Amino acid sequence: MQIFPLHPFRPEGDIPALRQQVRDLVAQHESRWPIELRANCWFSFDEEFSKALGQAGLLGMTWPKQYGGHERTLLERYVVLEELLALGAPAGLHWIADRQTGPLLLRYGTEAQREKYLPGMARGEIYACIGLSEPGSGSDLASVRTSAKKTNEGWRINGQKVWTSGAHKSHAALTLLRTEEGSERHTGLSQMMIDLDTPGITIRPIIDMTGTHHFNEIWFEDVLLPHDALVGVEGNGWKQVVAELALERSGPERYLSSHMLLVALIDAMGPEPDAPTAQLIGRLTAEMWTLRQMSMSTIAKLAAGEDPVVEAAIVKDLGNAYEQALPRAVQAAVDADLAGKSDLSRLLSWILVASPSFSLRGGTPEVLRGIIAKGLGLR
Amino acid sequence: MSDNRTLLTDMAAGLFADLAGKPFDVAWPQVAEAGFSTLLVPEDAGGFGGDWGDVLAVLRLAGLNALAAPLAEPVIAHYLLAKAGIAAPEGLISIAAPGSRVPYGRHAAAVVHVADGTLSLYHADACAFDEGLSPAGEPWDGVTFTGAAAATAACDIDLQALGAFARVAQASGALEAAFTLAIDHVNTRVQFGRALAKFQAVQQAMAEFSEEAAAVDASAAACAAALDYGHASFEIAAAKLRMGIAVDRAVPIAHRMHGAIGFTIEYALNHLTRRLMGWRSEFGGDAFWAERLGKRVAGLGGHGLWREMAARTDRLVG
Repeated sequence: MQIFPLHPFRPEGDIPALRQQVRDLVAQHESRWPIELRANCWFSFDEEFSKALGQAGLLGMTWPKQYGGHERTLLERYVVLEELLALGAPAGLHWIADRQTGPLLLRYGTEAQREKYLPGMARGEIYACIGLSEPGSGSDLASVRTSAKKTNEGWRINGQKVWTSGAHKSHAALTLLRTEEGSERHTGLSQMMIDLDTPGITIRPIIDMTGTHHFNEIWFEDVLLPHDALVGVEGNGWKQVVAELALERSGPERYLSSHMLLVALIDAMGPEPDAPTAQLIGRLTAEMWTLRQMSMSTIAKLAAGEDPVVEAAIVKDLGNAYEQALPRAVQAAVDADLAGKSDLSRLLSWILVASPSFSLRGGTPEVLRGIIAKGLGLR
Repeated sequence: MSDNRTLLTDMAAGLFADLAGKPFDVAWPQVAEAGFSTLLVPEDAGGFGGDWGDVLAVLRLAGLNALAAPLAEPVIAHYLLAKAGIAAPEGLISIAAPGSRVPYGRHAAAVVHVADGTLSLYHADACAFDEGLSPAGEPWDGVTFTGAAAATAACDIDLQALGAFARVAQASGALEAAFTLAIDHVNTRVQFGRALAKFQAVQQAMAEFSEEAAAVDASAAACAAALDYGHASFEIAAAKLRMGIAVDRAVPIAHRMHGAIGFTIEYALNHLTRRLMGWRSEFGGDAFWAERLGKRVAGLGGHGLWREMAARTDRLVG
């Protein structure tokens, strides 16, 4: 059994021109971005840039025009994403809406939900977050307890979500809730689109180990939602969430989180590095190049209507391992001053500390390898 | 893709499976008879008229079956000779890349050497071989040219890189075969009252193994596409290096999964892992390709690296 037959990445349209459009747009905005903002940049925020992307037609790219989208292909969208990440453009504000919430609403949402959220998301003005984890429910998502009770006025929500990235910057949270009282595990769960200005919602910051406010906890105290906040089918929430998570495993963000450090390393070492430094750059390049082939192959398979679950998990696990090893390898090889002012020093110091998060979001190596093992028939 | 690929791979799969475990003197005559050597020679020159995707498919199968005969070497030699307009002599033709020994040199009727922009064809009587063996026990012979070349021609092809691509292609097959052996073993071997595959630690290690096999598969295929486009120096450097990393990570797992059973000479695993360990060094090892690729990337500059990689895949489209 060939585990990873390469699927050709053959987008239609003028791809070099599309890349140039992204590069030009980044060049117009990059002067206001400190170097730390450009590392792990799908977790950095710049509202002006998100809106500029929207104006340029580079958000909601694959969505129907009637919802503000641009009806371009998945592969064109992939090209835009990898360019943004390779250039360290802060893409965090619109990231979830563009990648997950919008597509999920297109697939499962009501007409009213699509009309309410999608055009603003495609303009880079409406941002979303995802309410999954809870204090007692991390990797084991099926154990969520935050409840939604159906009443005559609407849904009554009570409970708590945690580790919610970007909730403090978001307009709405697509939230997984237990809608059937007494239900267990994967049954009785539903997804709801919750406007975060609804009374009864409290968002509190959790400062992460880099000192950044990214995570939040969200408290729901007798929050009343309209009946039409339900997304998709009542009780089908688990299936919807699993499909959503599988789609987000193989993207270029899974191996490019540290890329700006490689850029800085290459520039700092100059055009004629000594042999050990050249070898380090060569090794990192070889891993990155391979991951890019694998990631492109996986999105091409998705675009062709296949369901590459194992391939996607492989890309994420290998990609996370690479982007986490990169700062360690640079630290081991280069006598860097971690308190220094050079781009290399600042990026190394920042990414070393940020990198533990790379293999948490979207599933740890242990979770991913479990998925792979299952796909290989080992469980 | 060449139209005849399915035909080709069906034939190769059948033949190489028959030849698995057979020594050189049994395997080589049948490989030669089947005509694989002219895989890349154009049809109007009497060859198969295949492309690099075909070469990958066939070499992958050779690696999968631990074929104990040269295949990449005559394919590359015949390709270079046909391009140079030099008639290929009868018998096995191997390759001598700068800095590398000659695979199966002692058995070759002729050797193609490329250095400094010149291709030279030497008959065996113009070669003195310093015989050596690869870790897999295959002839891996140093060569000194003691006589004149039978023919020469200008040649701008990097023979070392083509050899490296061949080893990546073979490794992709050998990794799959080793992985399949390991899967079968952990699914059937019972210890502590259950199949090894039921242990999470074993599952995790097997998942890691699969990732390395996947990386080599993907990089080999990307190289073949670049070779068919016409320029693959960047891709081959990266892929050979990635293959070295994969061997480094996967071979220990393959053996761990098998315990002492996999360490015997009778069991098939060693034919795969010994080859993998040898191929890692052949036609440029990790350090060689890392330095070459790293220097090239340094010349491109930090953002230049990405622009180059993007351009190299964009050129394949349309």
